Amino acid sequence: MAAVLTDRRARLQTSPLRHLDLALVTAPILISGLGLLMIYSATHTKLEQAGADPLSFVKKQAIAIVIGIVAMAIMTVIDYRRLRELALFGYAGTVFLLVAVLGVGVQVKGAQARFDVGPFQLQPGELAKLFVILVLAGYLAMHRGDLDVRRLVVALIIAGVPMGLIMLQPDLGTDLVLMFIVLTMLTVAGARGRHIVILLLLAATVAIAAVNLGVLKDYQIERLTSFANEGKDAERSGYNQTQSKNAIGNGGFDGQGYLEGTQTTGAYVPEQHTDFIFTVVGEELGFVGGATLLALFALIVWRTWRAARLANDLFGTLCCMGVLAMLVFQVFENVGMTMGIMPITGIPLPWMSYGGSSVIVSFACIGLVANIHMRRFT
Amino acid sequence: MNDSRVRMSIVGVIVLALFGALFARLWYLQVAASSQYAAAASSNSVRVVNEPPIRGRILDDQGRPLVDNRIANVITIDRNISTAGRTMVVNRLAELLSVPAAELRKKLDDPRVSPYTPVPVASDVPYSVLAYVSEHREDFPGVKAEPVAVRNYVDGQVAAHVLGYVGEINGQELKAQTKSAHYELGDTIGKAGAELTYESDLRGTAGSDRVEVDSTGRVLRTLSSTKPKPGHDVKLTIDLDTQKLAEDSLGQGLAAARATQDKSDKKKFTMLAAPAGSVVVLDATDGSVVAMASNPTYDPNQFVNGIPTSTWTQFNDPNSHYPLVDRAVAGQYAPGSTFKLVTSIAGLQSGDINPTKTLDDKGRYAYPTDPGRFFNNDNGARYGRVDLPRAITVSSDVYFYTIGGDLYYRQRHAIPGGDALQETARQYGFGKATGIALPNEASGRVPDAAWKKKIHDANPAGFPYPDWLPGDNILSAVGQGDMLVTPLQLANAYASFADGGTVHQPRIASEVLDARGKKVRDLPAISTGQAPVPARDAMLAGFTGVAEAKGGTAVNVFQGFPPGMVAGKTGTAQVQGKQPTSLFVGMTPAAAPKYIVLAVVEEGGYGAETAAPIVRRIMQGLNHLPLTDVVTLPPADGN
Repeated sequence: MAAVLTDRRARLQTSPLRHLDLALVTAPILISGLGLLMIYSATHTKLEQAGADPLSFVKKQAIAIVIGIVAMAIMTVIDYRRLRELALFGYAGTVFLLVAVLGVGVQVKGAQARFDVGPFQLQPGELAKLFVILVLAGYLAMHRGDLDVRRLVVALIIAGVPMGLIMLQPDLGTDLVLMFIVLTMLTVAGARGRHIVILLLLAATVAIAAVNLGVLKDYQIERLTSFANEGKDAERSGYNQTQSKNAIGNGGFDGQGYLEGTQTTGAYVPEQHTDFIFTVVGEELGFVGGATLLALFALIVWRTWRAARLANDLFGTLCCMGVLAMLVFQVFENVGMTMGIMPITGIPLPWMSYGGSSVIVSFACIGLVANIHMRRFT
Repeated sequence: MNDSRVRMSIVGVIVLALFGALFARLWYLQVAASSQYAAAASSNSVRVVNEPPIRGRILDDQGRPLVDNRIANVITIDRNISTAGRTMVVNRLAELLSVPAAELRKKLDDPRVSPYTPVPVASDVPYSVLAYVSEHREDFPGVKAEPVAVRNYVDGQVAAHVLGYVGEINGQELKAQTKSAHYELGDTIGKAGAELTYESDLRGTAGSDRVEVDSTGRVLRTLSSTKPKPGHDVKLTIDLDTQKLAEDSLGQGLAAARATQDKSDKKKFTMLAAPAGSVVVLDATDGSVVAMASNPTYDPNQFVNGIPTSTWTQFNDPNSHYPLVDRAVAGQYAPGSTFKLVTSIAGLQSGDINPTKTLDDKGRYAYPTDPGRFFNNDNGARYGRVDLPRAITVSSDVYFYTIGGDLYYRQRHAIPGGDALQETARQYGFGKATGIALPNEASGRVPDAAWKKKIHDANPAGFPYPDWLPGDNILSAVGQGDMLVTPLQLANAYASFADGGTVHQPRIASEVLDARGKKVRDLPAISTGQAPVPARDAMLAGFTGVAEAKGGTAVNVFQGFPPGMVAGKTGTAQVQGKQPTSLFVGMTPAAAPKYIVLAVVEEGGYGAETAAPIVRRIMQGLNHLPLTDVVTLPPADGN
């Protein structure tokens, strides 16, 4: 009896949940809550005009957030070291879905990247981020400190298969995120400086080739290049960015007030509830709101970086750095493009942009980080 | 592991830098450069939509509306409907209104209509169409029937030339307006008559709504709104009854003349053409225009929904004799014997004659240095010994030729008074516009030596004689030669004479009232100078004789009028290549004239024949006598 009690106490004392990083898991929930408010602001006028339920986008996003939080919980609870093997099935499944989506997916805005699942849409490209991080981390950790050319090539193939399939959709944004993830993980895993430089050059070459060989649609190229010659074609491809900057600038220091943004209600910014959701924050909540949101992202990134350093093993460290790379790149690219310092690509702002797949995967990634962080002593 | 930690730190530094860049950029956009982006945002989304004011009315002297506004049903189409819906609606409306679909489409795309308001595509839509559209709402998405105020010329053609008309502002008019007047394309503006000259009073102030629009131009909400202020009413000096009487009488006179033989043409039998004429009735005491008519005329209501091209073409066709022209102020005629008013005064002023000095009228006159060239009375009539009153009564040309000749002699020999004829004419307001508040007023012409030299220098082939010759002065003395007057100038000169020499600026309006009828400002009678009136009684006796005395040129016309009611002067002006202009200027009552009534009929024959009967009927009305129809009367001797 006593032995049982002692055993239970010992188990409780060592329960990894005691070390759960509350700041890390709370911040994404706060951000996704703010996201719901912003999606409502960006969509309710149009939905009311069309006679539809003004909450219909908000409701779908709320469901995705709930699923995301559950996914985060699951990803936290299962010991991450077990995920090393489980991830292989996920990786294989993702590759299968990426192939399938080219055949039976729905075409949205020139890219064939989603499945229709009832009222929801599934984007396998988002799943690819999580499983590339896990599988790549597993492989790189296996060969710690000894990344010769052959192994580097294997690592690249692991990332390259899904990336190639995504390129066929084409979804440039997701590939850019993956590229950044891979580079960051290779760097941390100890790839040689020479190799990293070569990979950077290669990435640049691929990007240029993609533009020149017609893999990208004209409109994608135009959007990509328009930020470089802004103002020149405000009516065409630069329109998004001009309107986006106007909306954010119109917010001023303390914003126009929730649901009071003229550019938002007037639907001047295209894709405002998805890729350009930050403009709603900027216009209606001003610098105060925008900076607070960025601070929340910075908090998550910091806790993730901390988890990477504290991790019990290289696999954990690499997983955390992969998630960190994903978050940093998405936040920087997305917010940067709304403010006119980055080219326009279709990359969602984690937890904020309307879109279930991105929300769920982002939550799952934080679950992974929390998992690694709280098992740092075991 | 150590190496890995260093690399992680490098990644950390890069991440810090990226976030730093985001914060910096956010600060720049929202704090440092916010005003620039806020301005761009506001020009993006805020639009100003003007709401036109209700135009003021134009009233007659007793406050009866001559022009007001009526409600017209206008069909509008919302520009925000879908392309498919638009095609369907346009086609259905085109059929319903029996207009080409292309025309509707053109109106719908009219860039002058603010994109934030529904576009009017049809005006004055019949009730049946309105009913059909409202019963089939679902077939006409975006289509609305809206009541709008449009101009209403209450009595149609009555006083058309005085009132004028309105229309949409054109580019030229827009350029001519000052910024502060806030006109924009599509606005209504006065184009002619009082509508034009009192535009700033009538127009009112447009209201404006500042609205917020979305990226597709849909109005989201009104940010602020100023109500339009209605225009002011303008009260004219025109009396509706007299105006109608004047127009009726003129119309009757023209019709009668066209049924009368032209007696000045001795060779063949032709009827008088009498294509056009005008009437002016002035208040002799202050120059107020009581009635002013010009014929042919038009109905300003034709301009209300935009004038059809065919009508406009017709208005500008020479065969229609330009009905839009206000002949009372823009027509220029040789005054003929009506000008003897001026010649009499010039003769008296210069000392060439006195009221009792007589002259033996032997039917012809020749200037001393050119004894072979005769200036004859009409039909060679001989009036024997005539003094000034008698010369006026019988219209002795010889008497006035003599004055013209004598004054010419003085001119040539530098004897004082040589310019009396031209000087008196100018003192009485001839040779320059009277300044009446109506557009396109002509200035007439008082020819003199300087004028003749000027036109010779400009065109030596067309005008071979540079010098002022005796004949020039002699013909001027009887209102012929190069003398030109407008009907308004002529009537106003007689008003000055009747009023003891005060030269008035004729006015058509007396007051500006606000929408509640409160006076905003007076438009007082203005006198612009003083003209000499020597021997007024003697001259007035002569003018009275015209209507009453045996041998008076218009005695037949005014038979049956009480004595002392009418004084006047006939005029029969010769026009090169045309039948003579018939003129008559009357004054009533004769002793202390209250009204001046002038009729001028182009190609109307003798003054007593066509113009005087028109004046007679107006005089009957002004003096509350029973009205008799206008008939032409054979002229007595004299012109």
